Amino acid sequence: MRLVASLAALLITVCLATTAHAHAVLIGAEPADGSVLAEAPKMVVLRFNEPVAPSAVSLLDAAGRPRDVAARAVDESVMVTVPAGLPRGTQVVSYRVVSQDGHPVAGSLLFSIGEVTGSATPSGDRVVDALIWLARLGLYVGLFAGVGGVFFAAWIGQGPAGGRLITWALKIGLAGAVASLGLQGVDLLNLPLAGILTWAAWASAAGTSLFPALLLAIAAMLIAALAWRSPSFGAAFVRTAIAMICVGLSFAVSGHAASASPQWLTRPALFIHGIGLAFWIGALAPLAALAWQRKDSLLRVLRRFSTLAVPAVALIALSGFVLGIVQVDSVRALIDTRYGNILVWKLVLVSLLLVFAALNRLVFTPMIEREFHRTRPLQRSIAVEFVLMIAILGLVASWRFTPPPRALAMSTDVPLAVHIHTDAAMFQVLIAPGRIGPNDFTLQLMNGDASPFAAKEATLTLSLPERGIQPIERSATLGPDGYWHLSKVPLPFPGRWHMQIDALVSDFKKVTLEDEFEVR
Amino acid sequence: MRTVTFVAGAVAALAASPALAHITLEGKQAAVGSYYKAVFAVPHGCAGSPTVKIRVQIPEGVIGVKPMPKAGWTLDTVTGAYAAQYDYHGAKLSEGVKEVTWSGGKLSDKNYDEFVMQTFLTDTLKPNTVLYFPVVQECEQGVSRWIDIPAEGQGGGHGHGSKTPAPGVKLLPKT
Repeated sequence: MRLVASLAALLITVCLATTAHAHAVLIGAEPADGSVLAEAPKMVVLRFNEPVAPSAVSLLDAAGRPRDVAARAVDESVMVTVPAGLPRGTQVVSYRVVSQDGHPVAGSLLFSIGEVTGSATPSGDRVVDALIWLARLGLYVGLFAGVGGVFFAAWIGQGPAGGRLITWALKIGLAGAVASLGLQGVDLLNLPLAGILTWAAWASAAGTSLFPALLLAIAAMLIAALAWRSPSFGAAFVRTAIAMICVGLSFAVSGHAASASPQWLTRPALFIHGIGLAFWIGALAPLAALAWQRKDSLLRVLRRFSTLAVPAVALIALSGFVLGIVQVDSVRALIDTRYGNILVWKLVLVSLLLVFAALNRLVFTPMIEREFHRTRPLQRSIAVEFVLMIAILGLVASWRFTPPPRALAMSTDVPLAVHIHTDAAMFQVLIAPGRIGPNDFTLQLMNGDASPFAAKEATLTLSLPERGIQPIERSATLGPDGYWHLSKVPLPFPGRWHMQIDALVSDFKKVTLEDEFEVR
Repeated sequence: MRTVTFVAGAVAALAASPALAHITLEGKQAAVGSYYKAVFAVPHGCAGSPTVKIRVQIPEGVIGVKPMPKAGWTLDTVTGAYAAQYDYHGAKLSEGVKEVTWSGGKLSDKNYDEFVMQTFLTDTLKPNTVLYFPVVQECEQGVSRWIDIPAEGQGGGHGHGSKTPAPGVKLLPKT
């Protein structure tokens, strides 16, 4: 019984396990979010922490009219060409991109021309989000209660107890898996809900890493359904084992935890976490049914389950702990980020769950051992456990909508980027670290059409007019990477710095671009 | 993602009175379809270093270039094809001087000198605009490039002055 207590302690740390959520993070934009410009920009540049593919980008102008924009991805950036003739006021750029791990990331960028006006916010489709969440929850129920339940029936319970609940869980799970795929497409393309009926939605979802994960999940549930009708125990053993492996693989192939590095660690951890949960949650329905029916086999099954539950929960805890450390980064992130908040709530619920699990183990099971008819407390406790499980899965499903602190943390250490674009040329300037003190500048010179810009010399001139700092002129050197570099350029004061870049094209011709950037 | 440029400014030399710090053209105005004696005034070297070479780029539409030799300086011209064909005293000109170089001399930072050429401003040039002659001043140490031309519609002028504007001449309608 000691074991259960130490196990409870371990499990408190568990909860750190994660499954799937969006993961490319917008780390900068030009013009910056909320900025007020004197005139309309030619282009909006969205920079992410990893390469992305734009799936839908739209612009709502200050008059509330949607405008057509063209977007294309260049490495980590998405370049959005802004239409001419935008009215004065606040414009909203809504974007939706697919990150490398297949998750769609959506967001909006507001900038104003001339003045800030009360602008219409883009309509995020709450209904679609709610349905995505629900489908995800259904999928979890199918994988854990359904597949896990069939596995339990074959290996531990060795009887069809809780069969109706299990088959329902499988049905819900299958529906959830199929719905998840369609809704992913709707979300990717920013379609209204009716868009789920279009081929495009499904085709675009099939291109994401969610697709193989859902296929594996569907396979797991179909194999589990088949295993339910196994002609022999031997066949049931094999089939349910395969179904469980599919559950583990389904978690290991998709989701941003799977794409977090080191992958040799996160993928196996997800695999173990998924299988462990299926084992635990799968046991609840059959055990409740056995207790309800007061079957003779109840005690035998309870004992067998308890023996295996200890190492299973330990594995869940360990894998969850590993994943949590990878994803959360710092203790502060638990409070500061929505992802962390959800994790804290998950911790609280899991602690509660452990209390009930410990009660089952320490109080109610011995009670049944003494007086077999007293199964009611155990039933109630299992019911509460089940509700808690669903609540936890609901929380986990909502992670899909928040980026993990790991991804957020990457965004603080990125260099300041300034994109200057005129008819003549397009200069991309990276300033690292972009704070007071010495900074390294990288100048990427391109022609207006993004082809390489051949310069003979490049000069950077910095000034801070508000502090009376006159131009600081430095020559850049061409690096082997084809970019012009300046190292350790001092930016002694915070404020809005003015930057001028002169690129000499020929002896008699140079191109000069200017812009400003904020140093804190 | 701001505006700007091909830097503005050269006009400072025109609008403002004697902008002695810059290399400028002495004649501030000239009519198209006529001869123009371009006198490049060089008031100083490059940050104190004596001038050893002056290179002037001939803008399109300027033909019949005849540079004036200078004692102590070697005169060179670079010829090339014009972008268009020009009528010059009945002859069709499709090539001519594109660049003029005076080199080999030494003009101290403390002294002043002028470099002169005769040109013909064809009437293909637009009146009421400024015609720029980019100049590269090479010194014993360093180079100054007087090549900044304001962007179209920028107008140049004060306020947005370049440190190194190209010398310019205001074009007047044909007389």
